[in-house]
Amino acid sequence: MYGYEITQRVKELSGGRLLLTEGALYPTLHKLESEGLLKTDTIMLGKRVRKYYTLTTAGGKISYERVTEFVDFIKTMSSVLQVQIA
Amino acid sequence: MSQLTSEHIDYIIKDLNYRGIVAEGVQEELIDHICSAVEEEMAKEKRFIDAYHSVLKSFGHTAGLQETQKKIIEVENTKAKIMLRNYFTIAIRNLTKHRFYTFINIMGLAVGIASCLVIVLFVLSELGYDKHHINANRIYRINGEIKFGGNHYQLAVAPAPLGETLLQDFPEVETAVRFRSRGSYLVKPSETADNIKEDNVIWADSTFFKIFTVPVLQGDAGSALKEPATLAVSRKIANKFFPDGNALGQTLIMDNRWPMKVTAVFEDMPESGHFKFDILISMAGLEEAKSTNFLSNNFQTYILLKEGTDANALEKKLPGIVLKHVGPQAAQILGGEFTMEKFEASGNKLAYTLMPLLSIHLHSDLTGEFRPNGDITYVYLFSAIALLILIIACINFMNLSTARSSNRAKEVGVRKVMGSLRSHLIRQFLTESVLLSLFSFLLALVLAYIFVPVFNDLAQKTLELPLSDPKFYGIVFMGSLGVGIMAGLYPSLFLSAFKPVNVLKGHVALGMKSGLIRSGLVVFQFVISIFLIIGTITVNQQLNYIQNKKIGFEKDQVLIVHDAYALKDKTQIFKEEVSKNSFIQSGTISGFLPVNGWRSDNTYWPEGGQPTQENMVGMQNWTVDYDYAKTFGMNMKIGRFFSEEFLSDSTAVVMNEAAIKQFNFEEDPLGKKVSTFTGNNPDGSPDMNSIKSWTVVGVVENFHFESLKQNVTPLAFFLEKNNGSVAFRFEAKNTQDVITAVEKTWKNLAPGQPFQYSFLDEDFANLYSTEQRLGKTFAVFAGLAILIACLGLFGLTAFTAEQRTKEIGIRKVLGASVSGIVFMLSKDFGKLVLLAFVLATPFAWWSVNIWLEDYQYKVEIGWWVYALSGVVAFLIAWLTMSYQSIKAATSNPVKSLRSE
Repeated sequence: MYGYEITQRVKELSGGRLLLTEGALYPTLHKLESEGLLKTDTIMLGKRVRKYYTLTTAGGKISYERVTEFVDFIKTMSSVLQVQIA
Repeated sequence: MSQLTSEHIDYIIKDLNYRGIVAEGVQEELIDHICSAVEEEMAKEKRFIDAYHSVLKSFGHTAGLQETQKKIIEVENTKAKIMLRNYFTIAIRNLTKHRFYTFINIMGLAVGIASCLVIVLFVLSELGYDKHHINANRIYRINGEIKFGGNHYQLAVAPAPLGETLLQDFPEVETAVRFRSRGSYLVKPSETADNIKEDNVIWADSTFFKIFTVPVLQGDAGSALKEPATLAVSRKIANKFFPDGNALGQTLIMDNRWPMKVTAVFEDMPESGHFKFDILISMAGLEEAKSTNFLSNNFQTYILLKEGTDANALEKKLPGIVLKHVGPQAAQILGGEFTMEKFEASGNKLAYTLMPLLSIHLHSDLTGEFRPNGDITYVYLFSAIALLILIIACINFMNLSTARSSNRAKEVGVRKVMGSLRSHLIRQFLTESVLLSLFSFLLALVLAYIFVPVFNDLAQKTLELPLSDPKFYGIVFMGSLGVGIMAGLYPSLFLSAFKPVNVLKGHVALGMKSGLIRSGLVVFQFVISIFLIIGTITVNQQLNYIQNKKIGFEKDQVLIVHDAYALKDKTQIFKEEVSKNSFIQSGTISGFLPVNGWRSDNTYWPEGGQPTQENMVGMQNWTVDYDYAKTFGMNMKIGRFFSEEFLSDSTAVVMNEAAIKQFNFEEDPLGKKVSTFTGNNPDGSPDMNSIKSWTVVGVVENFHFESLKQNVTPLAFFLEKNNGSVAFRFEAKNTQDVITAVEKTWKNLAPGQPFQYSFLDEDFANLYSTEQRLGKTFAVFAGLAILIACLGLFGLTAFTAEQRTKEIGIRKVLGASVSGIVFMLSKDFGKLVLLAFVLATPFAWWSVNIWLEDYQYKVEIGWWVYALSGVVAFLIAWLTMSYQSIKAATSNPVKSLRSE
């Protein structure tokens, strides 16, 4: 996915409630790339250059860990707060 | 979705550029992002320009865009890798910009490190001797010290029964082994095969394999060497005599007479041991080994102590052994009044000590060593030289870096103004020096690889770089980091401390003025260099002196044929046959040679008296034939040498001056008689009925038969057959012809026996090979030290000349002469070299005297040696400087003054 696509996808998945600002997105992407969690493929589209980001193996592993952690956290919080999550 | 036109995209690119979005990698990505967003907005029926502005708004306009760009750049720059890369790039640029200084720095350090590396290898190999024995810490050799009859012996050998006695008397001794050396043997695998001479043959007890770690490849270590007439051979020997690989159980014939069975094959002993044997013969077959005589010392004896034994405590008990066993036997010979107390009271000494196996190689130089050992002095000496060379190289490095600091002062100022912290600058300069040192180490590895064989040749060693050992590379890498940081620390602290205001205003004037430390370092370098020059000259002077000294015999034009016993009863025929050649002046048959021959000593007393402690004289007794003195060119002082005209000469003796003096025969030596025992009782003690006497018929001038480090000791010649070797004095002629002729006769008379020969003068030179090697090695490293110091000086003068270009230009315009300017430039450094000379001389004088103390006969080191060293150092330094100075002085002033 390229940068703009990511913002649109997040917007779509969250029903328009989560808006990723570009000022937050790009520095994060570059940071993850320099840490080796993302890799990029650049494609020339006429005068425009599009950079696609993909998870590396290490990135996949980390994201799986982080998501699991997050789900656990939500579960814990829901049981602490005695609320049902649909 | 509608597509943007090419004009729209151009507009966006231009506009973003205008808003300051220019960073590589950020620009393209944002353009694409904005384009995509604009397309989507336009899909909502908006005009391009409206769509664009609404997208910009979501970014936060120009400020937002720039903020994003800044954040991305920051993220990327926090990576340490990039910081390092930056230091690295700048370092490389700086180094390539000043190629000349970089080259001098790298070369100097590399040569220094390479010599250091080679010396460290040497030192490590010297320190690592005998470490391969698992029990090394528990193995001790028994050393003896005997002071008696005017002689003082330090022995590596002990009496035959001592090992067994210690084993019985002291429970802390686990086991003991004895060696008996009987020289080389002629060996052949069958009656019909040709003999091969083997040097490393030794008689040994079967406990050898229990004490020393020598892996047995074939046969059983436990039972090998137990039976008489058995032997154990090294893998090398097994392959040599039995190439089929079935050496075990085969027979080897020793010296044409004794067939012996191979009971074990062991792994070749490593070079790094104080002994290296190829053939071990079972001690069980040696009659002498069964002797109970405590008075003759012929066996190298080693004991293995039990775990946890205090060797010092055991050593204290050894005088008890002397009292109990040696005393009674001595009393038997010397008469009933003898007691150990009296013996010691009259200044004599008989003591046994324990020497740890691990100290033998570097600390032992006694009579009866298996082979020449190393010397701890050389280990210290070489370590010191290595350290000095490394220091000189590091000093160069620091000197050049600080000297160049004034050129870099502006750079430091600008960097500081731009916000560099001191730590950044220190890191920057350290990176540079570490990089330099890394390069130097790489180059040093290459140099060392090339020069290790040269050093091996020089020092007679078999060193090699451990290139397959990863630890070695680790150490080299750590070393280069260490040296880089050490050498770079001072310059980097010095440079980074500049105040930017002063520097940029040009207030930092650094030339020779602020160079107090630098001058100190140059002086130090030259102190070392001058010291090494003096050392080299002294060592070589002493060597020359020794070799050209009057030694009491004519060492040139003498050919020695070794192992003449291989001729069996034909030695006399051989001598006569060879002497028929017209170019042979004379020949003599005797194994006792002034250099490297057999040695045998015995005690004598003037005839008539009883042997007592006071009148006994220890003396070499050499058995020779009529032509001995003539062949070796020895001069008679009084009387005559043995002659066929006197039938009574079988009871005659010819002594040297030292012996005459010892016997107090100086008044009228001719006709005096001396006596000694000629036989032993069955228990090994001397037979009182076997006393025999000889009459002195001549006195030969003292001649040197030991190292010139020692005085000439008493010696006597007896007329008796001894077919150890045959020596011929030949006329100046093509030596190859002489060899060919002698060899032909040998082949006729002793077919199948190896023809071994040497020249007396070469053997004599070999006696001093250690000193010779020391002299050469010293010269090489002194040369290297001076070379490195000069490289540094070269760099420094080049730099000063460069710094003073304008000054020189103005001076020339005002009428200064070329020679005046050269003098001005050389003056500063010249003073330093002079100071170094003044400092180095007393130090060198002191060291030289200490070294010469070892020699009985030493050369006078005149003042001219010191003067010469000073002049040489000064000349070398001046030559180094003159190139740069003359270059600067002859340059056209217009060029240097035009640009400002």
